[in-house]
Amino acid sequence: MDALIDTLINIGVFVFIGLMIWLYLKDDESC
Amino acid sequence: MFRNPMLMTALGMTLLVACWGFVDTVGLSSLAARIVEIIFRSRGWFIMLTVSTMLLVSIWLAFSRYGSLRLGKEDERPEFSTGTWLAMMFAAGMGVGLLFYGAAEPASHYFLLEKEVDPRWEAPSMALFITNFHWGLHAWAIYGLTSLVIAYFGFRKGTPQMVSAPIYAVFGRRGWTRVTGWLVDLLSIYAIAIGLAGSVAMGVFQVQDGVTALFSLETASMPLTLGIFFTLCIAFILPLTVDLGRGMAMLSNAALILAISLMVYLLLTGPTYFIMNGIVEALGTYASGFFAQGFRTYTFFGPDMTKWFGAWTLNYMVWWLAWAPFVGVFIARISRGRTIREFITGVLLAPTIFSIFWFGTFGGLAFYQAGVGKLNPQTVAEQINQTTFLLLDTLPLSTVTTAVVIVAAFLFVVTSVVSAAFVLAMFSTGGNPAPPVKIKLIWGVILGMLGLVMILSDSVEAVRQIIALSAGPFVFIVILLMVCLLKALKKEKV
Repeated sequence: MDALIDTLINIGVFVFIGLMIWLYLKDDESC
Repeated sequence: MFRNPMLMTALGMTLLVACWGFVDTVGLSSLAARIVEIIFRSRGWFIMLTVSTMLLVSIWLAFSRYGSLRLGKEDERPEFSTGTWLAMMFAAGMGVGLLFYGAAEPASHYFLLEKEVDPRWEAPSMALFITNFHWGLHAWAIYGLTSLVIAYFGFRKGTPQMVSAPIYAVFGRRGWTRVTGWLVDLLSIYAIAIGLAGSVAMGVFQVQDGVTALFSLETASMPLTLGIFFTLCIAFILPLTVDLGRGMAMLSNAALILAISLMVYLLLTGPTYFIMNGIVEALGTYASGFFAQGFRTYTFFGPDMTKWFGAWTLNYMVWWLAWAPFVGVFIARISRGRTIREFITGVLLAPTIFSIFWFGTFGGLAFYQAGVGKLNPQTVAEQINQTTFLLLDTLPLSTVTTAVVIVAAFLFVVTSVVSAAFVLAMFSTGGNPAPPVKIKLIWGVILGMLGLVMILSDSVEAVRQIIALSAGPFVFIVILLMVCLLKALKKEKV
């Protein structure tokens, strides 16, 4: 159970890191 | 007030935790400990990576072409002199923790490492290094970068001083930014409330142990603890009803002056040559090792070491994260008119060098007194709250120095709570720079209630776990804020 929780939390972290890199790189006109 | 969903949700959440804590203090702290254990185990690496990245980004910004950008209009100049600026920043960021952990942390690491490290004589040096790592550049990079984001957007782009403001400024107001911005503000309010309540509890523990030492009482009784707590409440509720302006800054400076005087006293009346040798050695070991230490996760060590890493290093890092929105807003307010380079250099270097002197003095003296048999390692390990007073007892005029610690701890907590109630009221009213007294008072009372819950848990460990739990999400928020800043800087014409 602990191993599953760890993996799920880490998948969430990876997705978050990917999202942040994408947000940084994508063009944005609002600023 | 009732039509403000942010305020009502934030009040509801914090009240819920406070009530839960009143009804079942043990249940709350053990649940917090369990969740924190899972978080630290599964994403300890992410916390360390984030904190080290924040430090690297700060250093890069200071040396990059963006370093010359001013936090304000180009012709603006700083409101405070550099000395006052650094003193105010330091008092807000570290406060009562310095008094509490000054001797306790190096001593605690030392007595553990003494058994683990070979050769044994490396233990004091390592203990000081680890303590300095917890209170040094990495801690201040968390504060500095959060504060830089708030100051940059607030003073250059004219956004309100809210943690969510940079998100709206960079990505505009659309579906996902509204939801994220709202959650970011809510979590910031929650993290500040819990973090500050922890500070209230630690302040009460510190004052209570001081009073116990001063009057040679056997142990602190609950009536004494509650008496101190209610005196503290009266002391911080009063300034919330009137605008004291610079009065609070003066009180905070007075606390810092008392603390510095105490450090100088220990340095001069203790074994000065020994303490100074230790400080110079600590400067060297810190300068040569801080970078690598920022990436250490102790994953290849045994369970004891992993547990120690979570209980100290990760706990400290999330603690700084919990305080970041509050200290960030405060540092931003006093830094208007400084350039990014000046800002980062001041925020990172000055407090770190001061911490090395502080812990070098308190820790060095503790090592010395333990070596000559004046300080019992067993007592220190068992009563971490009392280490400062046990140490002061080994020097002359301990009644006076104990009283100084009590007064300084009291002042640090009062000024922190008053400023925090102000920031919480500002955040929960959409960035209103002059929030109503009623809202400030409500937050003052809630901070008091949460503080009381943590006091009832009667354990510094439990206090740290509850803070760590509330600060958990903030690691994601600071990364989002960092992305906002870097994106906005890309468009600056420097």
